[in-house]
Amino acid sequence: MAYLNINSIKERTFDAIVIGSGMSGGWAAKELTDNGLKTLVLERGRDVKHIKDYPTANMYPFEFEHRGELPLAVKKENPVVGRCYAFGESTAHFFVKDKEHPYIQEKEFDWIRAYQVGGRSLLWARQTQRWSDFDFSGPARDGFAVDWPIRYADIAPWYSHVEKFAGIAGNKDGLQELPDGEFLPGFPLNAVEDYFKKQVSEKFKGRHIISGRCAHLSRPEPVHLEQGRGQCLSRTLCNRGCPLGGYYSSNSSTLPWAAKSGHLTLRPFSVVHSILYDEQKGRASGVRVIDANTKEETEYYAKIIFVNAGSVNTNLVLLNSVSGRFPAGLGNDNGLLGKYVAFHNYSATISAEFDGLKEFTTDGRRPTGGYVPRFRNVFKQETDFLRGYAAGFSAHRGLDRDTGGFGTELKENILNPQLGPWRVGSHMMAETIPKESNYVSLDPDRKDAWGIPQLRISVAYDDNDEKMRKDYLAQFEEMFAAAGFTNIQPRNKPMAPGLDIHEMGGVRMGKDPKTSLLNKWNQFHACKNVFVTDGACMTSTSTQNPSLTYMAITARAANYAAEELKKRNL
Amino acid sequence: MKRRTAIRQLVVVAGGLALLPSCLSGPGNAAIKLSNIILSGEQEKTLAEIAGTIIPATDTPGAKELGVHLFVLKMLDDCYEKDAQQKFIKGLGQADQVAKERFGASFTKCKPEQRQELISDIENKASLPAEIFDFYQIMKQKTLQGYLSSEYVMTKQLIYEMAPGRYNGYFPVKAS
Ligand SMILES: Cc1cc2nc3c(=O)[nH]c(=O)nc-3n(C[C@H](O)[C@H](O)[C@H](O)COP(=O)(O)OP(=O)(O)OC[C@H]3O[C@@H](n4cnc5c(N)ncnc54)[C@H](O)[C@@H]3O)c2cc1C
Ligand code: SF4
Repeated sequence: MAYLNINSIKERTFDAIVIGSGMSGGWAAKELTDNGLKTLVLERGRDVKHIKDYPTANMYPFEFEHRGELPLAVKKENPVVGRCYAFGESTAHFFVKDKEHPYIQEKEFDWIRAYQVGGRSLLWARQTQRWSDFDFSGPARDGFAVDWPIRYADIAPWYSHVEKFAGIAGNKDGLQELPDGEFLPGFPLNAVEDYFKKQVSEKFKGRHIISGRCAHLSRPEPVHLEQGRGQCLSRTLCNRGCPLGGYYSSNSSTLPWAAKSGHLTLRPFSVVHSILYDEQKGRASGVRVIDANTKEETEYYAKIIFVNAGSVNTNLVLLNSVSGRFPAGLGNDNGLLGKYVAFHNYSATISAEFDGLKEFTTDGRRPTGGYVPRFRNVFKQETDFLRGYAAGFSAHRGLDRDTGGFGTELKENILNPQLGPWRVGSHMMAETIPKESNYVSLDPDRKDAWGIPQLRISVAYDDNDEKMRKDYLAQFEEMFAAAGFTNIQPRNKPMAPGLDIHEMGGVRMGKDPKTSLLNKWNQFHACKNVFVTDGACMTSTSTQNPSLTYMAITARAANYAAEELKKRNL
Repeated sequence: MKRRTAIRQLVVVAGGLALLPSCLSGPGNAAIKLSNIILSGEQEKTLAEIAGTIIPATDTPGAKELGVHLFVLKMLDDCYEKDAQQKFIKGLGQADQVAKERFGASFTKCKPEQRQELISDIENKASLPAEIFDFYQIMKQKTLQGYLSSEYVMTKQLIYEMAPGRYNGYFPVKAS
């Protein structure tokens, strides 16, 4: 018996465990296995194999029973995920449905989740802008949260490392506030976007319009072909899964790469309940896993553990990891675990029309659009709100169809649509300030189907967010008017936090163990062999889409962890 | 077993829906499986004729030939509130009733000119029972959607490209 048990423990022992196989977990898996570490990736959802498990990827619009729309019953059952723009007939199978995984909204919070191998990396909009030092030094300069323990120079080589492997299309724009990276050819702006770019740079000093950098293989390099990925053909059906591997997802890129190394064990249907803490050795020893289907409990052991369950879920796992040493959750000596959660404010849009450049239209499709880097309070504080916002900006010419009447004339009209005017649109993406009052915690009574406490979420906007929303609309109205756009329509777009899908924080990095949970290498100050490298580690939120930064931080921490292991420091 | 395969071979694909021609689905029933609304085979034929009046066959197939009325039914059945569904069915009945009163024949038996006259009246908001307009609004909107996104139109008329592989932001507009 004892002998069998030893064998069984050995089978369940690895060099490293990664919790979660999404955007950041995929990178942890790749970097750790590249370093020769025997790595176990635990994923609560089902397996999704690249290409094979993309059932809708090659379907034509007319092959969808409801032409992309979801039946009313599905919408009614899913008020939360139903608000996500990407949740539709072609993608619903990749999203968590409301009923499957309940949580408690102390304040309204749209928690958008994807539980499967690859997590939300299958579904993302693939926008990948770097942070700059104006972002990393933000909290220190403006006196909120705590100082980041790292600066741009610490992460820059890791941005490069990730960009080269994932493949990022973009242009060298030479902007201090949005550093250039290792780019494949960028996707072009169109006539009206270029026109607006020129108008803005002439009339508004320091404001720029660029082509949004995105994780697409505009021209694959050998390293991408080696991953089995090919050129992006501008299908823009990406969130169904791309059969060409044209965009970066864990499924198309890092996970199969890690598997090829021979060091990876990927275990779907493995719900991590908690991290085990060895009181004698003073370190984490492994994780407790509940089989998603059988509910059977198993323990796995490793020297190091990477927590990449996706910001809010990472908080949940850590809060649930209680021990004699850490009665309030792993590494939580200062009581700050779960606090200082923040997000991005997307609560306004603006649209207009343009009467010029009628000699042009667009042809084909492109998987990105224009991007307006943050221009407010960058070099110095200049408004009555803290921080700023970036924005999307795109122009297109739609088709106008005369749908009046009926019969042969109607048929003729709809089969011969006329080019409409140029229409332009923008949406805001604002930084929010992490606050202690924005937190997640465990419900003392309610548990999920796996016996894990349900999460309570209490996150809200504040006055600063409101001021920024107004400023965004005012500034864009002014810029649109200056460019000669007409029919300008500023719109408030009230939405609960969470729907931005950029939730961050709760396990923030910092210099001081009294005021932060993780050090500059993403190790718990108080439990050095556990690393948190997804959005939960973020000290502040910046304005840029965050996933590129999660990936770079993950790659950096994983290589540090591997080195420390080699040096026997861990 | 033989019968099943025979039936399967008869399944046609219209507007993306696999469906059985109504003759196979038993008397009085609609040709597609509906879960929320009940419709007779006769009503379904009326819908087909209305769809065909909105978008008629010319030298290319119209909405009826493409089975677009079945797409309308599918959408009505799955994507609309009960209230809208009831008004739709009621309005459909009323439209047929108007046809009978005016032309002495149900819509399916009316001459094309008579059908056009009735649809024209609805389009022009003539004084007719209110539900006719509720019905027609959904009917027309979904007929247009179903037609434009039908396999025929997307592969033969307004070609949908799955993988264009290009983006030109300065595509010249041909002077017309
Ligand atoms: C529609 C949409 C558009 C987006 N657009 C962009 C964009 O343009 N740019 C950008 O930067 N970001 C974008 N995002 C956000 C981006 O997808 C996330 O930031 C990113 O996926 C987060 O990576 P992650 O590894 O932290 O979490 P995820 O990718 O969510 O992966 C977490 C994984 O952990 C698993 N897991 C959770 N709990 C447990 C547990 N207890 N045990 C085991 N496994 C567990 C989950 O099942 C999941 O697979 C978008 C997201 C969506 C949905
Ligand atoms: S746009 Fe590119 S990545 Fe997206 S589905 Fe198309 S080919 Fe694939």
